[in-house]
Amino acid sequence: MNITLLLHFVRQDLIDRHAASALGALWTLLLPLANILIFTLVFSRIMGARLETLGMEYLGQYSYSVYLVCGLLAWNAFAATLTRITQVFQEKAGLITKVNISLFTLPLYVVVSETIVYLISMGFFVVFLLFIDFQWTLAWLWLPLIFAVQQVLAYGLGLLCAILSVFLRDIRELVTVVTQLWFWLTPIVYVLSILPERWTEIFTWNPIYHTTTAYRDTLILGQMPDLAALGWVLGLGLALLAGALWMGRQLERDIRDFL
Amino acid sequence: MIEVRALTKTFKLYPQPSDRLKEFFLRRPFHSRHQALKDISFRVDSGQTLGIIGRNGAGKSTLLKILNGVLLPDSGTVTTNGRVTGLLELGTGFDPAMSGLHNIRTNGLLLGMTEAEIAGSTAAIIQFAELGAFIGEPLRTYSSGMVMRLAFAIAIHAQPQTFLVDEALSVGDGHFQQKCMRRIRDFRNGGGAIIFVSHDLNAVKMICDRVLVLGDGGIVCDGDPDQAVNHYNQMLAGDDSGELSAPDGGYGNFHAAITAARVTGLDSRGSLLSSGEACLVDVTVEAREDLPELTLGMVIRDRFGQDIFGTNSHVLGAALGLRANQRRTLRFRFPMALAPGKYTVTLALHDGIDHTRHCYHWWDNACQFEVSGIRGPIFTGVCNLRPELETLP
Repeated sequence: MNITLLLHFVRQDLIDRHAASALGALWTLLLPLANILIFTLVFSRIMGARLETLGMEYLGQYSYSVYLVCGLLAWNAFAATLTRITQVFQEKAGLITKVNISLFTLPLYVVVSETIVYLISMGFFVVFLLFIDFQWTLAWLWLPLIFAVQQVLAYGLGLLCAILSVFLRDIRELVTVVTQLWFWLTPIVYVLSILPERWTEIFTWNPIYHTTTAYRDTLILGQMPDLAALGWVLGLGLALLAGALWMGRQLERDIRDFL
Repeated sequence: MIEVRALTKTFKLYPQPSDRLKEFFLRRPFHSRHQALKDISFRVDSGQTLGIIGRNGAGKSTLLKILNGVLLPDSGTVTTNGRVTGLLELGTGFDPAMSGLHNIRTNGLLLGMTEAEIAGSTAAIIQFAELGAFIGEPLRTYSSGMVMRLAFAIAIHAQPQTFLVDEALSVGDGHFQQKCMRRIRDFRNGGGAIIFVSHDLNAVKMICDRVLVLGDGGIVCDGDPDQAVNHYNQMLAGDDSGELSAPDGGYGNFHAAITAARVTGLDSRGSLLSSGEACLVDVTVEAREDLPELTLGMVIRDRFGQDIFGTNSHVLGAALGLRANQRRTLRFRFPMALAPGKYTVTLALHDGIDHTRHCYHWWDNACQFEVSGIRGPIFTGVCNLRPELETLP
């Protein structure tokens, strides 16, 4: 599948989807913007005091918003990539059964699409941070790496679920439910310190906990992320990807027969 | 060029989709099998057109899908020397909300065209499709004919090495179809290969250099078009000899009945005849009581149900009288001067000159036959009047 076709799918996803509406492609910007506005302005009144202990005192009433948005935007990208890739074969079944398309590179357009949405949202976030005199650090340069690690995991896991969901429709619903639970099992909306000590160890098994912590360490605290933990997440992502590709090659004939 | 070697494809039929996964993990079979293709091998060289014919279920669509890359074979290889484009599922990826111009790009990319190829062909595609200013309008404003013309125009400009064509050639009006045939011919002259799958035996005889007959997943015949089509018809004849079992079997008082009827060509020996060959209609009649003045009539109808020609044994001067339980077979014999097409034969058994007095058995569409190909000078219209031409002094 050539790059042009991939980018065409991305374009269809972001722009053509809104072709019939008056505001058109503007919606691709408005939806993330609305998200950011809600989380930064509305929630900045809540939990403001709690987060002064995390080195964010200078942010005052915006400390929670910054904490939340750092984790939430990345989570949205991860969750959307995962759930959408899970459905991609069914969604594009009309194309797969008619023209020759590679099953394994097709889901890449979802990754690209969600990355663009993430970048747009982060763009608005940066504008917001400029308004509140945020202390910038070079640690922000770690962002692409952390994001890449997270998306590799999303792609590997998503592809695996996509293959399974061709045969077991339930996988789709299952992924939606698991993603919901996963969201709450990651300290995105809350701070880890509100939970009892003995629970915190379980969280280290959650790969998204590590990426979320990495985002906060680099973007807010200006520190280096835990590279060992990120390495573990990357390894997990690559292992899942390799497993998905292997399984996919074995089952490709059946997938194509069945779609 | 396409070369296919030992292509085999079996479909596994599972009672439930989840059984596929169970089989993968538990390594035990959970399915029944349907063999769609058995050991298919053939080769189409550049500039050649290969026809593939066969009954429904013979494996033609499966073969096309494998050549197109949409299905994977169990074993065997497909070797091509370039892009293979299907003139099959026209308009894949069309988005009704977007303009025709945008959809040219979408469909072209899906067909495997590069950015440069699409940019280079867009003007030609727009002109070929004859859509004019509509090309900028969203596809949902198009009629279905316009959509098909656009889809066809894109596909025909895809510049592959090999085209896979099925009944899609029947898109558009006569003028458009002629344009399509011209482009197909140019494509062939340019060295492209074509695989043509159709039920239209006339078209197959006209266009193809070689024809494969598929039966039950295997190649039954591989030869020149006439040979292959004849073989195909013998296959069909072996099944039902041109007999249609009418669901009602006709009506009448059944003091006499038509028990069997068959249409065959003298040379083709099946229910597919060439225009110009001798046609035989054999009818077996049985009387239930003594009937001294029986008449057997027949009417040939075209596919619109129009009466084309009718006659009966009375007007032909043949006396027919049967005693109770006596059986006789009669044969109508005439040159098949009809134009190519599908026809049915309606038979009637009655008393006297027509069926208005006593109708023993009237059987609509007792048999069917098809005329394909023309012997001698070609003609148009419904039937051949066999003219002679002379120049007057």
